[in-house]
Amino acid sequence: MPSPTSQCISITGAGIVSPLGIGWQENEQSMAADRTAFRPVDLFDTTGFIAKTAGLVDLPQENLFHRMPAHKLPFIDRGTRMMLMAIQEALRQSGRESMEGIDAMVIGTSAGAMPLGEAYFENARQDNGRVPSQLSRVEHYQPQRQMSSIAAEYDWRGPVIIVSNACASGANAIGWAADMIRSGRARRVLAGGYDALARLVFAGFDSLHALAPSGIPRPFDAQRDGLALGEGAAVMLLEAEEVRQSPALGNVSGYATATDLHHLTQPDPEGKAAIRTMTAACAQAGVSPAQIGYINSHGTGTPFNDVAEASAISAWAGDAVAGIPVSSTKSAMGHLLGGAGAVEAVICLMALQGQWLPGSLNVREVDPAVRFDLVRQFRRSALDYALTNSFGFGGTNATLVLQRRSA
Amino acid sequence: MNTPRLHIRGVGAVSPAGWSAPAMLEAVAAGVPLPAVPCARPGDRTWPCETRLVPAAPPEKVTRHPRLRRASAITRYSVAAAREALTDAGYDPAAPPPGLGMIFVMMNGCVNYTGRFYNEVLQNPAQASPLIFPETVFNAPASHIASFLGIDGAVSTLVGSSNIIMEALDAASFWISSGLVKECLILAAEECDWLSAEALTYYHPRLISSEGAGALLVSAEGPGPQIRSVIGPLGYLSWRERAGALRQMAAQSRAQIQGQATLITDLTGIRRLDSVETAAWEGGPWSAMLSPKQILGESMGTSSALHLVLGALSARSTQQPAVVSMPGTNTAAYACVVEP
Repeated sequence: MPSPTSQCISITGAGIVSPLGIGWQENEQSMAADRTAFRPVDLFDTTGFIAKTAGLVDLPQENLFHRMPAHKLPFIDRGTRMMLMAIQEALRQSGRESMEGIDAMVIGTSAGAMPLGEAYFENARQDNGRVPSQLSRVEHYQPQRQMSSIAAEYDWRGPVIIVSNACASGANAIGWAADMIRSGRARRVLAGGYDALARLVFAGFDSLHALAPSGIPRPFDAQRDGLALGEGAAVMLLEAEEVRQSPALGNVSGYATATDLHHLTQPDPEGKAAIRTMTAACAQAGVSPAQIGYINSHGTGTPFNDVAEASAISAWAGDAVAGIPVSSTKSAMGHLLGGAGAVEAVICLMALQGQWLPGSLNVREVDPAVRFDLVRQFRRSALDYALTNSFGFGGTNATLVLQRRSA
Repeated sequence: MNTPRLHIRGVGAVSPAGWSAPAMLEAVAAGVPLPAVPCARPGDRTWPCETRLVPAAPPEKVTRHPRLRRASAITRYSVAAAREALTDAGYDPAAPPPGLGMIFVMMNGCVNYTGRFYNEVLQNPAQASPLIFPETVFNAPASHIASFLGIDGAVSTLVGSSNIIMEALDAASFWISSGLVKECLILAAEECDWLSAEALTYYHPRLISSEGAGALLVSAEGPGPQIRSVIGPLGYLSWRERAGALRQMAAQSRAQIQGQATLITDLTGIRRLDSVETAAWEGGPWSAMLSPKQILGESMGTSSALHLVLGALSARSTQQPAVVSMPGTNTAAYACVVEP
């Protein structure tokens, strides 16, 4: 067994908002019921798109921002609201009412407040004059400004670091935060990711023919035909063990990132960068592939991704591959883009705490490239380590290894 | 923030002053604002909106690579700046050193392609170009440059206020000290377009948008100027708090200086925007004061990188420290001292 090379990074709180529910409990119940969350998109007009559905979050109607002046509330987008709810849950779980003592926020996003950018564009295009409220749209469109709106709710003034590595953003943000603690540059960091559904992004994936025409993603199915988009946010409160004040839910034991230079939007068919990140993250955690009790795969449901990831897992795990349970929760909630890595890391944490595995749903015939134990429905299982993969446009690959902790 | 232990081994810049760091230094030192031109937009505009553009690339700065064929202006500027920084450090850009990492920072991103793609979506989603969409993603430039330079290890893109580069330097320091990379290329770039040019005029009608790229090749050891002291992040939640953060930033910076230093300010030349920073730095031990934004324009995510490039060049040539002011716009203020 390799020796761990990292100090203990404790997770003392975690919050999750996904199409499967708001909060840990609703998400766990949905996964236990093998529920999928896809429905027709009603946030914008889908006329002209091939795909018509996505995983949407049911946000509460009430105002969540109590310190914000009323005239600014219209510029708080869905993504910011989701992230505030995730942070509230994470802080509650760690027994905190404030962000006091938190040294930094490291948050991943791919699109930020894109709907505000879309509104800015549409207003500017339609009107040659100066348009009221454009300054507010410009200001609140910026991801760091979205997060500082949340910081203002807590009267917190620490550094906000926005990682934008496409679909690996959330995982990279958690890894970045763990590195900050590991290096002694911070002791306590809120880390996670978010993305809300936006018309431009939906159109982008639709134009690439990456979205499943049926609206049902089937990761690792032999006849899979694409992904479904989703939206959501998740965050973890990471703490250095020596300053931890509340029970740890788990550890971030390993993290690695690498760059796949094959193509801007397509992975190397052998998943060579993924092999490197899984190997390095496990080395940092001091675990062998056989000790990994669950992999939450990137598993988008696109033909290229799934075969490359399956190939990479087989190469990395070697003889242990058949015994490693793997699933893709994107099959139930869709691809949350910049939020995906964080949401899937929190799902791993939930799985470690609850000793269960979420299913890869809607698989009819397993792809022949799959040599691992594809978890096709929710099941109970004993596990001490979980691994999650995130691969982004542009070739950013990230792997996190989480470890179970008993309170 | 702890001060990252970093030497700036090489610098590069693309700006309205031209396609090199020395060209930028020369223009900024001359103190004459570069010419601005009206920013074209679809239809007529009913108010003035100007921009300072990067001139056409000289032939030797044009890079040919399959991944750069459709790449945005941001990417083209960044590649040129990166090549210059590598050359400045004594490397052949065609054979970059092994163990190189890269952190790319930006505020606005690939807005030309984003606007173009969204315009296509509004007109007819079924005909929106699948070739354009991937280029709209924030980390597309980093991906192209990683491919061009063959960097298959740690590469990341940060989005933030104009001074987010300081968090990139902090991370680079850890990447290097932990052995993840041996050296790190820090890149910042922005490109002009009518949407962002107009957006800046909402902050002030006389704010002139700009574009370009800055590159710093940093390592744990010299030769090259050293980032000695970092002040900040001094967080703020409002413009009123920002004023206090700027005063604190200036006071703490001065405390780091013995003898004279060059000051690189963030001043725009617009009194309403500059008054707090002007007052904060007043009366310091400055042998020279450079205000790049007054000459080059407002290049958002690129500006602090260009200021650091100027700080490094100034420290090299004067053998005096340079204080670089990076107040930022909506989260925190930073400053740093670059020692010869």
